[in-house]
Amino acid sequence: MTSLVSAQGVTKRFGSFTAVDNVSFEIEKGRILGLIGPNGAGKTTLLKALLGLTDCEGQLSVMGLDPFKQRKALMQNICFIADVAVLPRWIKVSQLLDFVEQIHPNFSRDRAHELLRQTKIMSNSKVKELSKGMVTQLHLAIIMSIDAKLLVLDEPTLGLDIIFRKEFYANLLSDYFDEERTILVTTHQVEEIENLLTDIMFINDGKVLLDSPMEAIEDSYVELLTSGEDAIKAKGLGPIAVNEMFGKSVMLYEGISRDHLEGLGELRTPAVADLFVAKVKGARQ
Amino acid sequence: MIQHQIALIKREFWEHRSIYITPIAIASIVTLGTLAALMFASGFAKELDVAIFGAQNLAGEAERRVALTGFFLSSSWLFLFALAILTVFYSLDSLYAERKDKSILFWRSLPITDAETVISKLITAIVVIPVVAVGAIIATHLVNLIIASIWVATKGGDAGLLIWGSVPLIDNWLAALVVVLATGIWMSPFIGWFLFVSAFTKRSPLLMAFMPLVLIPLLEGIFLRSSVFAEAVFGRGGVMPIFRELDLEQFFNEDHMRVNEEMISLLAHLDIVKFFTSGGTWAGIIVCGLLTTGAIYVRRFRDES
Repeated sequence: MTSLVSAQGVTKRFGSFTAVDNVSFEIEKGRILGLIGPNGAGKTTLLKALLGLTDCEGQLSVMGLDPFKQRKALMQNICFIADVAVLPRWIKVSQLLDFVEQIHPNFSRDRAHELLRQTKIMSNSKVKELSKGMVTQLHLAIIMSIDAKLLVLDEPTLGLDIIFRKEFYANLLSDYFDEERTILVTTHQVEEIENLLTDIMFINDGKVLLDSPMEAIEDSYVELLTSGEDAIKAKGLGPIAVNEMFGKSVMLYEGISRDHLEGLGELRTPAVADLFVAKVKGARQ
Repeated sequence: MIQHQIALIKREFWEHRSIYITPIAIASIVTLGTLAALMFASGFAKELDVAIFGAQNLAGEAERRVALTGFFLSSSWLFLFALAILTVFYSLDSLYAERKDKSILFWRSLPITDAETVISKLITAIVVIPVVAVGAIIATHLVNLIIASIWVATKGGDAGLLIWGSVPLIDNWLAALVVVLATGIWMSPFIGWFLFVSAFTKRSPLLMAFMPLVLIPLLEGIFLRSSVFAEAVFGRGGVMPIFRELDLEQFFNEDHMRVNEEMISLLAHLDIVKFFTSGGTWAGIIVCGLLTTGAIYVRRFRDES
């Protein structure tokens, strides 16, 4: 199976600063990849390179196209919502739909109307009259009405309350995602989306720290909750992170069989957020 | 491509409502001015009777045409003046506003090239705004002629003869269209410059656009003691090569001191061939092309984050 996105040695420098440093990865069709990294890790730069908004060194192919050189063709099959790509405040909802309909060959206006009917957004409202949550709903409705192969979401729910955030992802899964489509999402609120991801990628200081399917996380990483003498033994087995919590030790292991840890305490699969913190701290040491 | 341009230009109307609000406002002002003038004139009943009698019986058709053309020209200059200011502000705002309100990445998330977007703004400035202005001029003329006809009729004049029979409507309107479009092309290097400034400046596009136009001639004058830049730039404000030189001897038929029929046509004073064979026109088009290409490259290559 060919990859939808293929990156080999992708690098982006701004003067002496390297924002993305020799990154290689593949994204297969029908996956939901979470791209997780702290601020300034290079996530947005990498996404911009994928979207053809910035050029880069190395080999980058999205749906067989060179994103920077073939941006117009690429945009027929990619949609993106970025926190920084806001809808213009002066436009009316109906004008926005008119415009996208005339520009985008894969846009279905009926579908957009159907999605907007489920919200409180009126077609004669201007974007500036809508709340931040409603603007995101509107943007999502437009995006979901475009038959695109790849959807890129960069902090799509930033600044929204929990109700909107939950609804956003629920709608995305129930009304949009299928095996023909691929989603790439970045967010700080990783705990809210970890159960809908199929793959995960950590990035820090422009480098990829982890690139794995979610099911492989369970095989490769294990968290042990222990205390007392067991904790001392467990420490000897080389955890990649140790945290103290309520008098107990929480240790995270990589590439160690669960059988080795059996009997030393309670075993569980680590949360993505904890794994991320351990990986970033590990990389810094 | 054409469908994209139509959608993009329509978008400019939504965003920059001043494109049609300004001409409507001027049309209203001119119409109110006409009404006020007619009301004022109505106060002089005797003089009015004499004037209408004179216009109907003494003046020839050519003189009546000159008088009405004079009215047309005087009402059109207001539109042209407003049009010039509107175009400056429009082109300076066109690529700046989308960066300021951060909507540029939304626009760029759609399958349109940066070239298509920038060209739509150039077309709006050079063609669409002038054509809208001519539309407003035509509407204003019609409304004002109707008002004037009613007024003349109530004063006992023959509106059919005095106004509609004497008015070179098509000639005037075509001339207006040719002049505004030629002005757009003639001034296009400025529009290209404004688009370029609008695409690159981080703040105050108006200042950034005009500062070099003031500073460069100043520095050139001080250090080089020459004025090449000033002549090239401000010289464009002089006579555009669309106008034929007016020959006053021909304009008035010497024997009768009557106006020469052929010379009243505004179109007769315009020379499109001269315009398009003038080196100045093509130099302007080339400069505009270079600056517009610069604007496209800035929009495409600049990282907005």
